[in-house]
Amino acid sequence: MKPNANPGGPSLWMSFRRVFAWFFFLGRKTGKSRVFLLLGLIPVATAVMARIFMPGRAEDVVAVFNEILIVFYVTFDIVILSLFYGTSIVAEETEGRTLSYLTTRPLSKTGIFLGKYAAYVTLMVLMVSASLFFSFFIMNGHRFRDLALYLTFLRYAGALGLGILAYTALFAFLGTFLKRAILVGLLFGFGWENVVQYFPGSTQKLSLVHYMKSLMPRRAAGGPFSILLFRLEPSKPAVAVLMLIVIAAAFVALACWLFRTKEYLYEE
Amino acid sequence: MATVREKGYYHWDGQLVERRFPWIPITRTGIMLAFKKRGFRFLFAGAFLPGIVFLGIIYISENLESFQAMVRGSDRLISITPGSFKTFLTFPPVLFLMIAMMVFAGSGLIADDLKHNSLQIYFSRPLRKKDYLMGKMAVVFFFILAVTLVPGLLVYVFKLIFAGNFKFFLSYPWLIFSIVGFSAFLAVFFAFYTLLLSSLSKNSRYVMVLVFMIYLFSDVLFGILQSIFRTPYMALFSIRANIDQVGALVFAQKPAHPVPVLWSCLVLGGICALSALVLNRKIRGVEVIR
Amino acid sequence: MTAVIETKSLSKWYGNVLGLSDVSLEIESGITGLLGPNGAGKSTFMKIVTGQMKPNIGRVTVAGQDVWNNFRLFSRIGFCPEQDAFYEDVTGWEFLTGLLRLAGYSGAEAAERATRALEIVQLTNDKDRKIRSYSRGMRQRVKFAQAVAHDPDIIILDEPLSGLDPLGKRRLIRLVKDFQSEGKTIIVSSHVLPEIEAMTSRIVMIHQGKILAQGDIHSIRDLIESYPHMISLRCGNPRAVAARFVSDTSILKMSFGPDGRSLVVETHKRDAFFSRLQSVVLEDGIEVEELTSPDDNLQAVFDYLVVK
Repeated sequence: MKPNANPGGPSLWMSFRRVFAWFFFLGRKTGKSRVFLLLGLIPVATAVMARIFMPGRAEDVVAVFNEILIVFYVTFDIVILSLFYGTSIVAEETEGRTLSYLTTRPLSKTGIFLGKYAAYVTLMVLMVSASLFFSFFIMNGHRFRDLALYLTFLRYAGALGLGILAYTALFAFLGTFLKRAILVGLLFGFGWENVVQYFPGSTQKLSLVHYMKSLMPRRAAGGPFSILLFRLEPSKPAVAVLMLIVIAAAFVALACWLFRTKEYLYEE
Repeated sequence: MATVREKGYYHWDGQLVERRFPWIPITRTGIMLAFKKRGFRFLFAGAFLPGIVFLGIIYISENLESFQAMVRGSDRLISITPGSFKTFLTFPPVLFLMIAMMVFAGSGLIADDLKHNSLQIYFSRPLRKKDYLMGKMAVVFFFILAVTLVPGLLVYVFKLIFAGNFKFFLSYPWLIFSIVGFSAFLAVFFAFYTLLLSSLSKNSRYVMVLVFMIYLFSDVLFGILQSIFRTPYMALFSIRANIDQVGALVFAQKPAHPVPVLWSCLVLGGICALSALVLNRKIRGVEVIR
Repeated sequence: MTAVIETKSLSKWYGNVLGLSDVSLEIESGITGLLGPNGAGKSTFMKIVTGQMKPNIGRVTVAGQDVWNNFRLFSRIGFCPEQDAFYEDVTGWEFLTGLLRLAGYSGAEAAERATRALEIVQLTNDKDRKIRSYSRGMRQRVKFAQAVAHDPDIIILDEPLSGLDPLGKRRLIRLVKDFQSEGKTIIVSSHVLPEIEAMTSRIVMIHQGKILAQGDIHSIRDLIESYPHMISLRCGNPRAVAARFVSDTSILKMSFGPDGRSLVVETHKRDAFFSRLQSVVLEDGIEVEELTSPDDNLQAVFDYLVVK
C-alpha cells in the first residue's frame, strides 16, 4: 500500500479542506442540525399564513416580513445558531473527548479550527438562506418581475451571512478558553445585545446587532413610549459590512492562536 | 461452637428499610452540583435582586412622607396591591432569571444521566421511576421557589411590618395563598419544561440552548403571528404571555391579553402533560439502541 | 539502537497534583510496556508523547523531532486513546474512512485501508452500523483500528485491551506482536500485569508519576538485591532436598507447602542454588515435578518496587 502521498505534511489549505469536508459531513448527519433546520421552517410557514390570511394587503405583508427579518432572523435565529455551532467548535471535541482524533492526524491546529469553523458557518448559511429564500419570495411573490427584489434578497442574505460569520467567530473564540462558553454567549447574545440597543450614541456600536440592523430595513417606532424603544442610530452600510468582517476576522484569528497554544484537558 | 468468618464480602442478613422519600438524595445531589458552579452562585444571588428592589418599593410606599420630596404624585405610582405581587412574579426580567437558572442548574439534570448511562445505576437501587423524577423535579422546585416564594412571602411579611397594621392583610386575605399558589405553579411548570428538554438529548450544551431557545422563540412567534392575524389569541403561543395570564387569574387582576385564562392554563398544562409522557418513555433502566 | 522516542526530565503538573516527575526515557523500536496502577501517570506520559499536552519541564522528541504542534509527525504516529469516545452519529466505516481522509488519503485509498483495518479487528460485518450501537468490545476494536489504519511506524496504545473479552485480548496481543515483527515501535500501557507480560518483556514501571524501573523484566528482578529470590520446587520428598541445603549459608529461608510435596527456598544467590540443586537432584535421583520462580514475574517485581 502506498504511504501517505504528502510525507512532508499538509499545508494549511489542505488541512482546512480535509477538516471542512469531514465536519460538513458530520454536521449534516446530526439530529441537532435537523432541529435547527425545522426552526428555519417556521418563518416559511408564517409567510404562507401571511399570504393566505392577508390577501390584497401587499404592503402589510412586506411589513410582516420585515418584522420576521429583524425579530426572528437577526435577533434570534442567527444568534442561537451561531451560539450553538460556534461554541461547539472546541467544546464538542473536549466534552466528547474526540479532540485527540483530530490532533493526532497530520493536520495543523489552525487548519482544524478554520476548517470546522468554515464547515459550521457554511451549514448555517445554507439553513438560513434556504429559510430566508422561501419566506422572502412567498411574501414578495407579487414582485417577481422586479429586479430590485432579487437585489434586496441578496442584500438580506448577505447581511445575515455576515452576521453568522461574526457571531460564530465571537462564540467560537469564547469557546476556546471558557468552560461554560454557552452561558456567557447566552448572556451576551440575548442580554447585552438587547439592552445596548436602548443606549444612545456610540454605545450601540459595541454590539454586533447594531451593524446587522444597519444593513436591514428600518422599523418605524411611534407612540408616546417611542423614547423607550430601541434607538437605532445606524452606521453606513459599508462601515457595517467592514466592521462585521473585521470583527469576524479578529475573533477567528484570536481563536486560532488560542487553540494552537492552549492544551485541552478532558474533565475526569 | 464459634464460627470463623472469612474476610471479604458476605451477604448482609438485615432488613432493608424502605425510605419514605427515596428521592431526597437525588435532590440534595442536584442542588449541591448546581452550587458547585461558581457562575451559578452569582446568578442565584442575582436572582434575589428583583425581590430586594420590590422590598425597597414596599418600604418607600410605607414611608412616603420621607420620600415626598423626591417623588411627586407618588401615592398613585407606588401603591402596593396584589397587582404589585403579580407584576413582581411575572416581571419579564424575573422570568428571564428563572430561565437562566434552569439553563445553569437544570439542563444537565437528565441529560448528564443519559450521557453517563447512570439510569441503570439509579434503578439498581430501590428507586422507582417516579422517585427519580420527583428527585429531579425537586431540584427545580428548590431554585424556583427560592426566588419566588421566599422573596414573595418575605415581602408580604415586611409589608405588614412596615405598615404597622393588618389593614393590607384584611383587605386581601387571599393574597398569601395566591403567592404560594402561583410560586408553586411556576415551580411545577418550569420543572416539567426543563426536564422535558433535558431528557431529549445527552448533550447538556444542546439542552441549554433548547431551554433558552424555546422560551424565547415562543415570544418571537407570538410577535410575528400577532402582526399577521392581529388577534390577541396569538398570545397563546408565548410561554411568557401564558404565565402572565395565569398570574392575572391567581392575583385577581385583569389579564394583559383579552383571551380566556383557561386557554392559557390548557396550553401550559399541555406542555406539562407532554413532558410527563416523554419523561415516562425516556426514563428507563435499560437503554434501547436503534 | 537509536531511540525512537526520547524524553528528558519530563515533568507535568495538574495544578498542585504532580502527574509526571522527572521522567527520562529512551524507547527503541519494538514493544515497550508501560505499567502502573490507575493514576500512575501512564496516560499523562502518552498524551505528552502524542502532543496532546505540553510538559511543564523537560523535553520529548519523537523520531528526533519535538512533538508539540508538530503535526507533520502524525502521519507516522497512531494513537489509541483510553477514553471510550467517538463521533457517535457515524458508522464504523464512516469513522475510519473519515479519519483516513483527514490523514490525507484519497477516497479510494481510505476505503482500501479502512477495509483492511476492519478485517484486522474483525468488524467487517458491522461496519455499516452506527458506533453508538456497538458493544464495548467493538468500540475498543474500532478505536484500535483507527490507530493502525494509516500504517504508522509508531503506535501508542493506551489501555488497548480494556473492554475486550479474553479471545479479543488474545487476538489484539497477537496483532501487536505482528506489528513488532514489522519493525514498528509500539508503546502499550496497562494496569493489568499479565496483559503486559503476554506482549513484551521490555517494560517501564511507573508509579505516582515516577519511573520505578525500566528494562527487561527478568533483569529488573535480578537488580532488586534487597529482596531474596524465591524458588519453588515440587517433588516426591521435599524434606530430603531441604536437608541437603540446610547448612548452605546462602539459603535464607525454607518453607514447605501444605500438601507436603513442595519446598519454597529464599536465597540471595539464585545461580549458585540452581547449580547445587542440579547436583543434588542427580546424586540423590530426585524426580522434580516442577521448578518455578514465583517472584520472577511482573506482579512480584512491581510489589517489591512499590514496597507494600
